Amino acid sequence: MAKNKSGAHYRATVGDVTFNVINIAVFSIFTLLCIFPFYYLFINTISNNELVGANMITLIPRGIHFSNYIALKDVQDFGNSVLVTVSRTLLNTALMVLASAFAGYLTTKREMWNRSFWYRALVITMYFNAGTIPWYLNMLGLGLTDNYWGYIIPGIVAPYNIILVKTYIESIPASLEESATIDGASAMKVFTKIILPLSKPILATIAIFGAVGNWNSLQDSLILMSNSPQLYTMQHRLWVYLNSSSNLANAMQSGGAASAGMLNNKVIKYTISMVTVIPIMLVYPFMQRYFEEGMMLGAVKG
Amino acid sequence: MTSTKTKAAVKTPGSKLYILHRVAILLACAAIFYPGFNPGRITTAINRNVSLFTASISYSSLVSQLERALMRGWVQKSTFILIMGASIVLILGIVLSAVGGCMSVGNRRMRRYGLYFPLAGSVVMAGGLVGLFMAYTQIVAANNDRVPANVPGGFWLYAVLAAVTLVSTLVLLALDRKSQAALEPKMAMQETYHLFLLFLPILALAFVFSYLPLWGWRYAFFDYKAGGDLTMENFVGFKWFTYLFQSEATRNDIFRVIKNTLALSGISIITSWLPMIFAVFLTQVPSRKFRRVVQTFTTVPNFLGWAIIYAVALAIFSTDGFINNFLNNILGLNANNNYLMSNSHMWLKMWLWGTWKGLGWSAIIYISSITGIDPVLYEAATVDGAGRFQQMWNVTIPQLMPTFFVMLLMSIANVLSNGMEQYLVFSNAINAQSIEVLDLYVYNLGIVNGQIPMSTMVGMCKSIISVILLFTANTASKKLSGESII
Repeated sequence: MAKNKSGAHYRATVGDVTFNVINIAVFSIFTLLCIFPFYYLFINTISNNELVGANMITLIPRGIHFSNYIALKDVQDFGNSVLVTVSRTLLNTALMVLASAFAGYLTTKREMWNRSFWYRALVITMYFNAGTIPWYLNMLGLGLTDNYWGYIIPGIVAPYNIILVKTYIESIPASLEESATIDGASAMKVFTKIILPLSKPILATIAIFGAVGNWNSLQDSLILMSNSPQLYTMQHRLWVYLNSSSNLANAMQSGGAASAGMLNNKVIKYTISMVTVIPIMLVYPFMQRYFEEGMMLGAVKG
Repeated sequence: MTSTKTKAAVKTPGSKLYILHRVAILLACAAIFYPGFNPGRITTAINRNVSLFTASISYSSLVSQLERALMRGWVQKSTFILIMGASIVLILGIVLSAVGGCMSVGNRRMRRYGLYFPLAGSVVMAGGLVGLFMAYTQIVAANNDRVPANVPGGFWLYAVLAAVTLVSTLVLLALDRKSQAALEPKMAMQETYHLFLLFLPILALAFVFSYLPLWGWRYAFFDYKAGGDLTMENFVGFKWFTYLFQSEATRNDIFRVIKNTLALSGISIITSWLPMIFAVFLTQVPSRKFRRVVQTFTTVPNFLGWAIIYAVALAIFSTDGFINNFLNNILGLNANNNYLMSNSHMWLKMWLWGTWKGLGWSAIIYISSITGIDPVLYEAATVDGAGRFQQMWNVTIPQLMPTFFVMLLMSIANVLSNGMEQYLVFSNAINAQSIEVLDLYVYNLGIVNGQIPMSTMVGMCKSIISVILLFTANTASKKLSGESII
């Protein structure tokens, strides 16, 4: 649409130029507002720690070093939270994708006994929930509080993702599956040999959303793991550090290299924040297409 | 798992008995995960939240309330190892029976061989129960007031289920021997049941994590304290509901919280046209590259958690944050403000954070709608002499209206659910009153303060109202635009 405007149909007038300048300026400012805080955090983690502690780093990094990122390994409990978050992201996402693919495929099979009833029973769970406290009591009853598996098992069945996969598989030509069935392949074989390879795009999409959700998980850690600090997720740990007034730097053995200056609370907090941000920042530009496609799939689902 | 619908099953001898047989096995499987039916809670000193499943995999959960009793030697450690072992045996028996239950929907040959599994399974289950009984006698023998012996309801439940499984299996085996029907050369199962059995684990998980919590609503009607029991004596009916509005303190709280919730949702609903305008103006930028860059950077914050957003807020607005640094180092002032420790305009600030995080992402759906608009419409508008703004107003916006309408209805349906993370991370001693929303209130009341019945009641009311709102919005959408939003 914008292409139509730029010259083909009419010449650029003064009004057009003014519009473009203002329009681009407004978007530039908003974009800058979105990205600048992360730049600011980052330069404070790589600048000389003494200067950061004295609030001297505003726009330009000074005395660049990366030793703070290495020093994080000595911050109490942080390593645990990284381990918890990384492992739950991998494990829960893998299981969720597998279960969604399998369930999505099975729900396309009209032959299944009372298929539409079971499918509806599954889908309806998206529209109600019992509430935080009954959910917590249920998890308590199942022994999944203060238990690592409390992060993994509840997220395996994701009705919304099952719908997305089902819709996608229904768009695959049925002839492919039929010919395999005639050749005597079982439902499981059709699933692994035909359906899984063909539905890679949709599986990538739900995997990415699942992974981001796991990476950012805070609420389940807050509710379920209140007595197990060693099981806090990174976001939970970060929030605890941000609120703590105790001196994190004192709890660490080493004070960092002399040239980088002594570690201090501010630097540690900023560095931990960056560690949770950087993986998403690095992955996002490459995966943006999948994110956007996923969003559109949700919109047309109906 | 009834199979009366298909012709093949009607001919099966004892098909009604098969239903009983399968129901018994199914109940045995389900009760594994439910603490109320734990047959191994042979003393009330065992944590009431330990299910048979938990007892079989985690010794530390089993003895979580018994450290003192074990240390003082009131009871023997071997008793609890016996309980754990017996639980494992019991579960093994149930699994064996379950395999047979699955095979019972196959053809005749599969059913016949399938019967040997519950036969073995029920015997193994009985063995597990005997083990639990032995542990029970040990507890009785220890005769200590602090570790009182208890015959749990689950013990009788499993005894009955094991007996039913055993008897039904024996009768079915006998019927099978007598039957004259031909035995197929190979074991096989009808596809319809096979597919259902494959789907069963998914259904079971959905049931456990989405339907089972509804059973927790009963806490709203009891005078329950953590660790206590639900008995008819502490049944209080709608006491908590009336208490919510009768006690002045809670009444003030709930009205304040509802006010915050409605105000914060209201601001987002009133401004829900912003992403549309963002999209309309962004697509006016001639440079494709620029649009791409803007889209990438403005959508990133949406994928960061609220804890990180709070870290950003601290880095920018706190005493040693960017704003003060900028004022002091670049402009040479002497500023020392903590902008987060303030209670002014909290609703607006929360809305700004939400918008900063979500605006770019919410615009994506409109951007792709705009790329789908037929260029002929713009050409016609140009011929009619419409300028840039007239085209936006008369062509683009009307084309985006259906999408906008769906989004608006969704946000109205979600008016009570603002989520708790944002308000939790941003709340501090000064602003907590102004940003506590319903979800956060329930969390604070139930998890932080341990007022289970009251918070369950509030959450229950919220869930019911939300569902009603959703269906109302859906009906409205169907009437007005013919499209369903759910």
